[in-house]
Amino acid sequence: MLVVGSGMAGLIAAITAASRGKSVRLAARGAGHLAVGNGCVDVLGYVDGEIVRGNPVDSISRLSGDHPYRRIGAETVAESLAFFARLCAENGFDLAGGNGENQWIPTALGSFKPTWFYTPAMNRETLSMADRIVITHMPWLKDCHADMVKACLARQRRLMSKDMYIEETAPFRAHRNLTPLAAARFVDTEAGERWLLSQLLQCLQRSSSGRRTAVLLPPILGVTRSAEIRARLSEALDADLIEMASPPPGVGGLRIRRTLLRAAAGVGVTVMENAHVVEARVQGQRCVSLVCDATGGEREVKADSFIIATGGFLNGGLVAAPGGKVCEAIFGHALPAPERTEDWTMPDMLDSQPYAKLGVQTNTRLNPITPEGDALPDNVYFAGRTLAGYDFVNEKSGMGVAIATGYHAGMNC
Amino acid sequence: MNMNVRIPQPDRCIACATCVAVCPVAQNCPDFPGPRMMGPARQRFRLMGMGEDEASHYCANCKNCDIACPGDVPVSAFIMRAKAEICKKNFPKLRDWILAHGEVLAHCLRFIPAVFKNFGMTFAPARLLLDAIGIARKASLPNFAPQAFRARLARLAQPNLSRAVVFFPGCFVDTYEPESGLDIVAVLNRAGYKVIVPGTTDDSGAFVCCGLPMVANGFWQDARDNARRNLKTLAAWAAKGMPILTACPSCALMIGKDYAEYFPALIAPGQSSSLVDVCDFLIGCVERGELALPAAPQKVETVFYHAPCHSRALGIGLPGLDLLREIPGIQAEYADSGCCGISGSYGFKKDKYPIAMRVGAPLFEAMRQSGATLCASECGTCRVQMRHGGGKQTVHPVSVLRRYLG
Ligand SMILES: Cc1cc2nc3c(=O)[nH]c(=O)nc-3n(C[C@H](O)[C@H](O)[C@H](O)COP(=O)(O)OP(=O)(O)OC[C@H]3O[C@@H](n4cnc5c(N)ncnc54)[C@H](O)[C@@H]3O)c2cc1C
Repeated sequence: MLVVGSGMAGLIAAITAASRGKSVRLAARGAGHLAVGNGCVDVLGYVDGEIVRGNPVDSISRLSGDHPYRRIGAETVAESLAFFARLCAENGFDLAGGNGENQWIPTALGSFKPTWFYTPAMNRETLSMADRIVITHMPWLKDCHADMVKACLARQRRLMSKDMYIEETAPFRAHRNLTPLAAARFVDTEAGERWLLSQLLQCLQRSSSGRRTAVLLPPILGVTRSAEIRARLSEALDADLIEMASPPPGVGGLRIRRTLLRAAAGVGVTVMENAHVVEARVQGQRCVSLVCDATGGEREVKADSFIIATGGFLNGGLVAAPGGKVCEAIFGHALPAPERTEDWTMPDMLDSQPYAKLGVQTNTRLNPITPEGDALPDNVYFAGRTLAGYDFVNEKSGMGVAIATGYHAGMNC
Repeated sequence: MNMNVRIPQPDRCIACATCVAVCPVAQNCPDFPGPRMMGPARQRFRLMGMGEDEASHYCANCKNCDIACPGDVPVSAFIMRAKAEICKKNFPKLRDWILAHGEVLAHCLRFIPAVFKNFGMTFAPARLLLDAIGIARKASLPNFAPQAFRARLARLAQPNLSRAVVFFPGCFVDTYEPESGLDIVAVLNRAGYKVIVPGTTDDSGAFVCCGLPMVANGFWQDARDNARRNLKTLAAWAAKGMPILTACPSCALMIGKDYAEYFPALIAPGQSSSLVDVCDFLIGCVERGELALPAAPQKVETVFYHAPCHSRALGIGLPGLDLLREIPGIQAEYADSGCCGISGSYGFKKDKYPIAMRVGAPLFEAMRQSGATLCASECGTCRVQMRHGGGKQTVHPVSVLRRYLG
């Protein structure tokens, strides 16, 4: 079988299908959003603007009937999340969360967002348990503003009574374009780890006291050795280190992607990179092959079944054309969209946006269907952001839908 | 204005930074601002005539940025064009000229016996001299072959076969590793194809260097001249309906993809300038029943396979690995350890050698961990780097097949 797309949905679909003994090829042009994501897996944070309490899977019944979670069913969603957690554990990736209720993790803005799985370094409880919070100020790093973080933290009821300090750190090198990713890479080296330790030691000395300390950092604790680095530094400093989720490149997603690629290779998935799928050959109700635009011309790839996980407008799975037309990029199906483009957006940016819900409509097996409900090729399955019916920004469900639908497609194909 | 000229559009880049996340040089060299900054972001300034960032010399042209980009932004092409502009303004280094023009150099030195040339590569004072012009003393430079591939092929009596293919040897096989070229000829003969190398097995116009090392070192015009000559030869053979094969993924990428990107005006409307990967072609031969594979031997041998970045960039999957997996008795182990670091001539440069070795470190480690004694990869300089860093025998996948065919 053939999977298109190497974001979260495509990788999970490929791994699921290959674990069932299928021979799987994965074709992708581009690495997918996971490579620059922050590593948080949101499952469901809000329904109709209301905060989800308890296990988010239990709130699926409150979503509208055309939401992908409703299509595949809450049980499948729970199963897929367990599968993902197992996959990470088996491949040595330490994942936190995934039980009780959503965790509110700190972001580089100083705000908190609800998520289901996260890296252990993002655990907010550590902040609540600390007596004092040291916010590292790295003015030389992009998108990190300690003053704003402090102001936001001080507004939190559970945190406002804590001692909070801002401590400035010296850059590890002079450059106008340092991102948390560049810093994380440096910290991965021995010299980098030493540099961070000495910086943090100075931070803690300046505001020293014998109480329990939490140190808030941008995501710079390494890419490949993050767990051991964090453990060593926490011990040496006698403090808990907490990373904030940052905008792209967010480091945490790259850590997960490395894990999933290793897992995929382990179950025999073969990857065809830089292969841009441009066309589908369909005979009656079946798709026989997909055509890639590769060096040396078109290349036809045949398979018994196909999973399309090509993402949304950003990564090319959905295409919008002037005149309010939207279509799926490979099969070219026209997708239902509000006639007037003015109706694609809502005046309040923070509202759920109609354009965010545009996408491919499917049946419960994730085969595409026409707006009238008729089945299109029944050996084709859609997964991830290509699907219609959910606004991942507004409900905080992006990676969750990608995992759940990728898993479901991989189980059904 | 020539309507064929496509103007690169930096604004297709949305600054998602995926290229920065995957760039092997950015991962291992903090002085390199990364492909996004050096490519599309800087391009906006270039279009406004606002100067250049010298750091573009750090780019190894491995194409991992292009592979990872979700938006079809020609990231590496922006950087290569910038290098060319810098090279036009500043007098290029002698070292870079030498590394870019290996074919010309080999031609000039053709009457000097290989033993003397190779002596120069290992002889300490000679290495000091090379070091002085910027070629890393620790690098293992490939040895000149006593006789070039084309000279040996010209004297080889191929069997009389009804079908034929054209073969683009590439400089590496021609100058340094004729054996792998001859292995390929033997296997193709076995599949029923006579191998034509223009200008060698006949007296038509010969292929020249694809030009990739010239582009990577900033010699744009020289690359363009070579592209023009190759395109003419390719068109003549394509008109005869002849498949044109190569064993070098970098030549395949340069000719099949980059010519159109770099020199669109040279491509005639409707002309396709593609080369077929020899492993891909041989898989077809096996499927069509033209090439019979031997029965599995008693003992299974593990071969460790590394995919060159330029193979991955071709968008055709990994035919080298697929071919190895077709061979009965071979257990192919896929390295999956990223770039080897060499990037053609990059890792031979004194200032780049340490970066290249850091980039290749995970691959070298995987080679050492592997139980395999034999390794395979399609790219000639990847093989040099694998022997150098991983310390194991490394050959082209087709050479593995030839050994099995006997
Ligand atoms: C800025 C930002 C922040 C986010 N933060 C979070 C967060 O904190 N938590 C969370 O859970 N979610 C978050 N999300 C949402 C989440 O990233 C996405 O919902 C999710 O990544 C979608 O995964 P996907 O696999 O469906 O698509 P993608 O990751 O978009 O992958 C699509 C893949 O298909 C490939 N492709 C597309 N077209 C073709 C073609 N024709 N041929 C071959 N390949 C093709 C692409 O190159 C890519 O590899 C965020 C999204 C954004 C944009």
